[in-house]
Amino acid sequence: MKGLKKSVAFVMAMALTMATFTGCGAKSETATSQSEVSSDAKKTFTFGDTTFNAENEEANIDPHDTYCGWACIRYGIGETLFKFNDNMELEPWVAESFENVDELTWKIVIKDGVTFSNGKAVDAAAVKACIEDLVAVHERAAGDLAIDTIEADGQTLTIKTQTPKPTLMNYLCDPYGCVIDVEEGNADGIVVGTGPFVCTELVTSDHLNLVKNENYWNGEVKIDEAKVITISDGDTLALALQNGDIDAAYGMAYANYPLFENDEYTFTGTPTSRAFFCQMNYNSPVIKDDVVRKALAMGIDKEGFVNTLLNGYGYVGVGAFPDNFSFGGDVVTTESYDPEKAKTLLEEAGWVDTDGDGIREKDGQTLTIRWISYPSRQELPLLAESAQATLKDIGFDIQLNVTADHGTIVAEKDTWDVYAAAFVTCGIGDPMYFFTTHCLDDSSKNRGGYHSDEIQALADEMNATFDAGARGDIAVKMQQQILDDNAFIFCSFLRMSMITKANVTGLVAHPSDYYEFTADLDIN
Amino acid sequence: MNKKLIVYTILAFALILVAIFAEHLCPFDPYAQDLALSYNAPSVEHLMGTDAYGRDMFSRIIIGARASILSTLALVAIITIFGTIVGVICGYFGGKLDSIVMRISDFFLAFPGLVFALAVAALLGGGIINAVIALAVISWPKYSRVARSQTLSVKALSFIQAAKLAGDTPVQIILRHILPNILGPILVTSMLDIGTMMMELAGLSFLGLGAQPPIAEWGSMMSNGRSMLQTYPWVVLSPGFAIFISVVIFNLLGDTVRDCLDPK
Amino acid sequence: MKYSIKRIIQLIPILIAITFLSFAMMRLAGSDVVEQKMLNTGQVVSEAQLEAAKAELGLDKPFLVQYCVWLGNLLHGDMGVSYVSGKDVFETFISKLPATLFLTVTSILLTIVISIPLGIISAVYKNKFWDYLIRFISFIGNSMPNFFVSLVLMYLLGIRLGLFPIISKDMSITSVAMPTFTLAIAMSAKYLRQVRATVLDELSKDYIMGAKSRGVKFSVILWKSVMRESLVTIITLLALSIGSLLGGTAIVESIFMWDGVGKMAVDAINMRDYPIIQAYVMWMAIIYVTVNLITDLSYRLLDPRIRLEDARDE
Repeated sequence: MKGLKKSVAFVMAMALTMATFTGCGAKSETATSQSEVSSDAKKTFTFGDTTFNAENEEANIDPHDTYCGWACIRYGIGETLFKFNDNMELEPWVAESFENVDELTWKIVIKDGVTFSNGKAVDAAAVKACIEDLVAVHERAAGDLAIDTIEADGQTLTIKTQTPKPTLMNYLCDPYGCVIDVEEGNADGIVVGTGPFVCTELVTSDHLNLVKNENYWNGEVKIDEAKVITISDGDTLALALQNGDIDAAYGMAYANYPLFENDEYTFTGTPTSRAFFCQMNYNSPVIKDDVVRKALAMGIDKEGFVNTLLNGYGYVGVGAFPDNFSFGGDVVTTESYDPEKAKTLLEEAGWVDTDGDGIREKDGQTLTIRWISYPSRQELPLLAESAQATLKDIGFDIQLNVTADHGTIVAEKDTWDVYAAAFVTCGIGDPMYFFTTHCLDDSSKNRGGYHSDEIQALADEMNATFDAGARGDIAVKMQQQILDDNAFIFCSFLRMSMITKANVTGLVAHPSDYYEFTADLDIN
Repeated sequence: MNKKLIVYTILAFALILVAIFAEHLCPFDPYAQDLALSYNAPSVEHLMGTDAYGRDMFSRIIIGARASILSTLALVAIITIFGTIVGVICGYFGGKLDSIVMRISDFFLAFPGLVFALAVAALLGGGIINAVIALAVISWPKYSRVARSQTLSVKALSFIQAAKLAGDTPVQIILRHILPNILGPILVTSMLDIGTMMMELAGLSFLGLGAQPPIAEWGSMMSNGRSMLQTYPWVVLSPGFAIFISVVIFNLLGDTVRDCLDPK
Repeated sequence: MKYSIKRIIQLIPILIAITFLSFAMMRLAGSDVVEQKMLNTGQVVSEAQLEAAKAELGLDKPFLVQYCVWLGNLLHGDMGVSYVSGKDVFETFISKLPATLFLTVTSILLTIVISIPLGIISAVYKNKFWDYLIRFISFIGNSMPNFFVSLVLMYLLGIRLGLFPIISKDMSITSVAMPTFTLAIAMSAKYLRQVRATVLDELSKDYIMGAKSRGVKFSVILWKSVMRESLVTIITLLALSIGSLLGGTAIVESIFMWDGVGKMAVDAINMRDYPIIQAYVMWMAIIYVTVNLITDLSYRLLDPRIRLEDARDE
């Protein structure tokens, strides 16, 4: 019996030793890593982001590749010729001025003293090479810019377009317009830009390592090293910020906001034109019914969605553009949330629940709506489930399919009815962008085959109008038309928010949602 | 009679009854949203609080029992029946068929289970039924193995020989003599599997490969509620405990059944 | 020796079947692979382009021919490119494998450290307080899904106590700690029972009784005989658990952002990135089969009795 006790004691001692051993190992590890940070004077900024991933078409930082320009400009690697101010108007950046010589000709003067991060000076020839590469390889740029010829002379760049392009300058300030040194190539998706940071390592959908651009042309960069970590899960993002693994976060889950509403953290937020909207599929017989679309528009509780599900971090949508634009907000009108009226309308139109299952039918067809959306924007699943319940109350049977695979489904004509998506409607400060991409017969994102003679005519008018005020007026008419048709339902606009530790300064949310890392970014 | 067995059986049946009559037991409509009630903490009215949409968590847990428990039971039933039939046939008749089928089951056993389930679920797309199919495809060989080896040992016994001599057809022999004698070990295997299967099914749902919203299923409810762990913990902990308690009950029942049938 | 060769030869059809199934699965999923790929890159495609792309990939040839071509490429390490990132699948897989293997090894080690001592204690104190306590804990551990454990650990150890980082930035002990705990808890709960059963079985054998009656110290019996006999069984069981572990890491890796093949697979499944899924399934199966073979062969070396049985069989 004594032996037994001894042996058990030994076993337990062994277990304890091993446990302590692993425990100590862990502790000493943390201790050393902490001392490393304190002894080293280098300032390192770690940023957690939900968007930097292949799924979001940001597989790397090459602006000439899909939407990768967003990463390029956000993380301070690339800069565009001009930059948007808080009212989404153009201000000088890499270029100092532009002149609209005639309908087809634009003269741009590049600033003296701007250099790429490799030290090379930026002149008109370098910008020309960059734009030519952009037009050659990028899927959207060639159509957006319609460039005929480019001439470079010292710091002056002259661009001629094939057709009048009133918004050419705005398009050049899309993230894809980042000025990069194309001679450096794009090995591993890494490019050389003019921004405050230089990329040293890139692993798609995982992380991006940046160091300070020692040659930065526009002031001293305060941070020595920056790291962007892709955290696709909003929840892990919250834990990582609380734990101190990251200094700032983009894309936090709304439910976690209350955790950071205190002195230890700073919120920076701004309204953006990223709209959460529903697009109707006119190829679907049910959706073709005007009353059905109208009832759908009346059946979505936008206020509840924004105020409750988004914790108030958002703006209720009316038309395609938010309040801060002269042509946005409530300059247009649309259906408001009114379930009773929606029921009456459907009833009058012959959509009646005959079999008592709560779902309406007409001519043997049930009021079933296949709602397609995707989860990478956390607002969309919330919108989907919320709309499903409010619409069910009216008599709709909403079948949700919220999947990362949404592209395949909406590419087919007859596999969906409503597509709920997020889109930056006014990313280049000009209203035409949304209509060109979504509402015209040849629009790439006119997924539901929407057609309106009025819209086509107004678009032609807009394309020939150079005055910004007049363009705004046309944009109001166009919005009203698509709202009257109920071809789109604009549910809300994103309040873009970044949450930082209180000691981080210089990270400011911008209405364009483009500029994040700047030379001013600092940790105190 | 074993008291433990009675208690656990009653508990397990209670769970199953809850799952079957879920609709009638919910105090609220589990799918009815009321944003005014969003994220209410547990109270007398809402025993487990409400979720982001103001839906009553307690009702959702109850209705979730249907997707979680009934689909698990269906899964276990499918693999038990299919596996046993295959195993008994192989064991009784032997020969070429036996070796082919056993090679196939070797092959399935050669795959790491969940990896294969992930692949099948990926192939079929989301949905609770697809998740059940994915797990069924990889799990049946275990049962056919048990059934086959049991059949082989029973087959050698003299009363089977006697039945054969008496002119019974193979089907009669299998139904009358073999099945009743091998049922014990198979029952034990499947009882012990319920808990595991429930967790694996919830795991697939957690990854978004099982039940789709708004269907209340415990795994996907946890997955959707993850971000509320700190702010509104009841949204994620309630389904977590529901899974835990159900698995505990079925595991206890499984252990007890095993102890009764196989006292070693 | 003869047995080893036989086992290795048996492996060949299984490997062929694994590759065939992976290939077939891919084709089953994506008769529209080309379309899928083009959609993922956002291109608008015409029928002619589709046909051309299909011909380029050899999709217009008979199924078996396609399989042989694919298998040939596979042997050269060519598994195509990811639909999403456009990167080489095999390279992607290989670059992420070490992280998963590291996690697997740490989890197994921790499982051994937890389950063997506790299992022995439980057996030695059969039906006493310690046995009941340990069995109770193991029962709880066995009944909690690993994603639930992950979330609780994250909250307790990561946030409340701040002991470990939430996201695993590198392959260090601190980073791997929480995913390891999660996996080890479930496995230990399971293997603790096996250890207990094995030790109990061993303790009840005649020779132990004999040794006891001859007055050999119990500690000596426990160490010299019981442990040696039990260890073979336990190690085998652990090695066999690698399969379930490899699959189980998928959930845990994606929760903890551990950049291994499991997370890669889950992401790929969400994106319908079939080449990646295919590589994952196939290599995981191959690793599993190989580990099983090695285990089988090595424990035959360890335990002479099994070799004798084989000799009788043959």
